[in-house]
Amino acid sequence: MSQQNRTVFEEIVERLVELKDTSELMIDLAYSSLLLNNTELAEEVQRLEEHVDKLHTDFELLVLQSEFKKEDAKGFLGLIRLGVATEKIADAAAQISEVVLRGIEPHPVLQLSIKEAEETVAYVPVTRGSQLVGKTLVEAHIPEETGMWILAIRRSNKLIRPKLDTRIEAGDILIASGYSEGVGDLRRMATH
Amino acid sequence: MPSLEKVKYKSVPVRDLFLEMKNLSELMIDLAYSAALFNDRELAEEILELENRVDTLDYLLEMTIMIAARDAHDAEALTSVSTAASAADKISDAAGDIAAIVTQNIGVHPLVAQVFEKVEERLMQAKVAADSSLVGKRVGELDLAAKMGVDIIAVRRDKDWIINPEKTEHIKGGDVLIVRGVHSGIKEFKVLAEQKSKRSSD
Repeated sequence: MSQQNRTVFEEIVERLVELKDTSELMIDLAYSSLLLNNTELAEEVQRLEEHVDKLHTDFELLVLQSEFKKEDAKGFLGLIRLGVATEKIADAAAQISEVVLRGIEPHPVLQLSIKEAEETVAYVPVTRGSQLVGKTLVEAHIPEETGMWILAIRRSNKLIRPKLDTRIEAGDILIASGYSEGVGDLRRMATH
Repeated sequence: MPSLEKVKYKSVPVRDLFLEMKNLSELMIDLAYSAALFNDRELAEEILELENRVDTLDYLLEMTIMIAARDAHDAEALTSVSTAASAADKISDAAGDIAAIVTQNIGVHPLVAQVFEKVEERLMQAKVAADSSLVGKRVGELDLAAKMGVDIIAVRRDKDWIINPEKTEHIKGGDVLIVRGVHSGIKEFKVLAEQKSKRSSD
């Protein structure tokens, strides 16, 4: 495969990874919105659903424009199907968050089903002087120090699904969940 | 046509049914991408089995919810469970669709795996041989993360699934272990699980 095709390919995969990460982030946020009966998170999921629809279209267009050869057709069909399934996962997440937006009180049995004790959601901005800046999530020890864990990171209008090696930057907004006592501790870490 | 498991009502707490559906469907997503990207047929078949299981759980959950609703208030609250469960079922279906890319011999372009491997860890399944050196060991005692960069994220024991097994869980012959990790590590682990243990006298 030529160098140019290779670059197109990398772009296709990049979109696919973004689709996949976004749909998985949506599932995490959707369950949290349900457990906490939190409208803000549920709306976040709905916005991401719109974003996924757009990403998915871009991804399909890229695949179709890639001038693949006849013998590559199957492999490209596989890619298209992977995109469709990923979009379906995002739909399922949106379905979960819809319960909250329709004002249906989540049944207590749902809370019992999730290990992590979720009580509250906090949006915590990270300032330039914070000890967290430049650290990965593993290095930051946020759950150990505060009892809160990071559901998502908002970085200049994008939502990022946190991975262990995600590096925290100044200006990030940490979307964290846990006991309400931990919020103050997290705010301190994010500003000092 | 694949034979479908017969569903008959039995009394299981809604909480347990929903928790299993949620956990299995999330595991299935991870398994499915790995199966598709690395064209792993064994893993894909495992996912299709799991899809059947989640379907069955969904039927049981719906039945249980119907029995539990006594009035309008109950019905409203239980709708949240029913909707969330059907979403988990949808996720499991989507994972099944991804697995079908492999089982229907369509496959994903191999170059994708090459690029993907840089950003994502791979999952693989390994069946523990009856006389493997792993048999009887506790998950924690193997110290896999430190030794090979590998994590056991689930165990299938016949029809039962143990997700995120405790460190104290004993490994048995015939267990199917789902491991996550770096490419070289999981290959090494698969060999370790599937081959006979060397006797000290060898």
